[in-house]
Amino acid sequence: MRPTRRALTFSLPQPTPSTSSTRAPTHFYRNRQLELYASKKSKPLSLRQLIFFGRSMNEERLIKSANYVRTELPVRLAHRIRDLQTLPFVVVRQEQVAKVYELYWSAFERTRSYPPIHTRADNDRFCGFLQTILDEHASVIPTLSLGFSLSSQHLDPELLDTVLRRMLVSRISRRVLAQHHVALSASLAGREPPGSEKADHVGIISTNLDAGECIRHCVELLRQRRGADGQGRVWPEVHIDGDRDTKFAYIREHLEYPIFELLKNSFRFTRLAHPSPGSSPPTLPPVQVTLVNSPTDVHIRISDQGGGLTSADINSPSDLYSFSHLRNKARLASDRLAALKQAASRRHGVMATVKEQLAPAADGDGSGGETGVEEDAELASRTHLGIGLPMSKIYAEYFRGGLHLVSLDGYGLDAYLRLPKLGTMLEDIEV
Amino acid sequence: MRSLLSRSALLALPARTPYAPAAAAAAPTPTRMALPPAPLRLPSLLDVPHPVTPQYVLHSAALTLSALPPRMAARIRALESLPYIVGVNPFISRLYGIYKDSLDALVREQPVRSLDENEGFVRRLQGLVESHANDIPIMAKGFQECKRYMTPTAVSAFLDSAIRSRIGTRLIGEQHIALSRSLAHHTPGQAGVVQRNCSPKEMIRHCAGFVHELCESTLGVAPGLVVDGMDDATFAYIPTHLEYILTELLKNSYRATAEHWLANASRVPASVLPPSPPPVTVTLSRTRDFLSLRIRDRGGGISPAHLGSIFSYAFTTAAGDEADGGPYALQHVGGQAALDAGPPASASAPAASASTPAAVFSDISSTVIRSGLGTIAGLGYGLPLARLYATYFGGNLELVSLYGHGTDVFVKLRSLERGADVEL
Repeated sequence: MRPTRRALTFSLPQPTPSTSSTRAPTHFYRNRQLELYASKKSKPLSLRQLIFFGRSMNEERLIKSANYVRTELPVRLAHRIRDLQTLPFVVVRQEQVAKVYELYWSAFERTRSYPPIHTRADNDRFCGFLQTILDEHASVIPTLSLGFSLSSQHLDPELLDTVLRRMLVSRISRRVLAQHHVALSASLAGREPPGSEKADHVGIISTNLDAGECIRHCVELLRQRRGADGQGRVWPEVHIDGDRDTKFAYIREHLEYPIFELLKNSFRFTRLAHPSPGSSPPTLPPVQVTLVNSPTDVHIRISDQGGGLTSADINSPSDLYSFSHLRNKARLASDRLAALKQAASRRHGVMATVKEQLAPAADGDGSGGETGVEEDAELASRTHLGIGLPMSKIYAEYFRGGLHLVSLDGYGLDAYLRLPKLGTMLEDIEV
Repeated sequence: MRSLLSRSALLALPARTPYAPAAAAAAPTPTRMALPPAPLRLPSLLDVPHPVTPQYVLHSAALTLSALPPRMAARIRALESLPYIVGVNPFISRLYGIYKDSLDALVREQPVRSLDENEGFVRRLQGLVESHANDIPIMAKGFQECKRYMTPTAVSAFLDSAIRSRIGTRLIGEQHIALSRSLAHHTPGQAGVVQRNCSPKEMIRHCAGFVHELCESTLGVAPGLVVDGMDDATFAYIPTHLEYILTELLKNSYRATAEHWLANASRVPASVLPPSPPPVTVTLSRTRDFLSLRIRDRGGGISPAHLGSIFSYAFTTAAGDEADGGPYALQHVGGQAALDAGPPASASAPAASASTPAAVFSDISSTVIRSGLGTIAGLGYGLPLARLYATYFGGNLELVSLYGHGTDVFVKLRSLERGADVEL
């Protein structure tokens, strides 16, 4: 019996509703919705506004906050999606960038079509929804930085760094909005997260953040770090001087992360610059941290003797922040790319926090139920992804502070971190 | 080595005339003067045989004679391009006259063919250099009076280029003078104006000694000094440049530290106050091509409001600002004594014009720096000038302030034997 040839039928793929893929032909026509949101202005907030709103919380204000977040998030997402849409086609088609574009589009569609919140129960569901989106986007930082670095030959370095910076600042702002609201909901419900100081915080903001304590905490964590062989290491001493009891209102993570990253670098380069002869432990010069309580800002200066910038590939400290390989060759080093790829594919991604860089034992969290978490944490603490400095700068600039590095070539590096302390500065997002 | 401008073209200039605007207009500069100055490059400054030979000195004389006239012409051209009303200002006009005199004198020079002739040439060259000693105070006073006729940007641009050109011109002149002198007594390690084994630590101690005395005598108290890092480093540089940069920066740090400590002394209880002002710390570092240093003080820093103006030239300051801005506020134009026509002011003259600590601090460094660089210190031009000197050979100067605590100044200087092919 001769096999019959089945007639092949061709038909255009049907457009699927709501969560249509960005690769569908209809994606172009669905952009109308995006443009509607992109044409709205974002409302940047100040720390004071976030605190003020969060005090005297009640159910009515909480619902108000929920709907504010619900309507503001898609606007901020839309602006960044528009940014991506103006980039060269070849850049956004690049595997990693495309993945982020897809994630953003999906988040946009789902937040804009989320129904209004009227009750506490609605809000609980909304908080769950927010948490899901936050988790889904855990890998955005390494994915985006990998994608942009790989596309850097198609993009002028200034443009690349500007777009990436805008994406990352906006990301922080959306996370602040979402996490602050979730925290406010939890505190109203009496569900305080374990270990928080009840009196001194509003949502995710610490109203009496002790900068000196924060620095000492980071030093403690770093001194416990082990080398690649699992053995302990000799790390330099840290001396803190200046206005040691400086306290101000800030989001703890935004202070802790830059300090952690800067000290991590100082420790690493001090060790590299002072190897020990033979097998005896090295004598390492200390790292000097100066804390200054200025009228409008808090300054933290970290001075190390790690040799400063001696690489011929880096012309000035500002190149360290660049994701373009034209300004910073290390962006395309093969071990860097491999590490980023691995980080991007991890479920927990890389969220630019201190917590994720610690081995689980330090958390005191006994759950080790998930496979690979321990390896993940070890890996996270050791691989040099090159995002510590750019992210630190972005955290610092988020409420219009700054991070400035000056090298005394051959001797060491001075890092100047400045954070506004009055809470009056607005978020540095593109409206 | 002939200059790009022929002697005849330069001679086409009118003979000395009173520098009234009418006369200047009647004698427009010849078109040949539109050519840029003959570029002299750094390597030629360093290509000096050890010990120096008579032939080389004669070669240097020829180099000097060809390099200087076009530079003078360029300065004259720049002055002539200033707005009319600025050119009419007596100080600017005086400067114009000094440059024209210099060009006339140089144009009259015959080629130097023997060491005897060189001696005469060197004497006249020294006179020329001396006649320009007060260029910067004169310019400063002139531009201060012309504040409303030129934008700060335009004045800054003019001053930047005028001072940079002056640095190069002095360098060329001083180089020849130094080489001629060293025929008589050779200094090992010195090649004309460049000292090959310049020790920053020694220079720091030298400058700090002077600044310390000054600070103590005017304010009653002075901080100590700590020098650390690679303090034994040496590099090839021009000692007078290094001396100027260091003195200016140490002056700022010492004064800020003393004043901040004194201000606190009146505010906080004695038990809390440190027994003496905290020291100024200078950290040295050396890489293959550069010598870097960091001057760190605890002088209270600079307020954000003033931070934007510290590198601008002093002419924009109103008289009262000094009190508000603290030690680093733009200093009023000092150096009054230097503005009188005639020979450099004697040591007593600065004291006459100085009454406030600010004025004394402004004026006094001029007496020490005068020997190398003329009266350039003491005008509130300290930081912009220091930066011009630091960047002249491709170095850098950067300032970071922690308001309420102190200031860090970073200076990076190229070691001249790794000479970049820098144009002077």
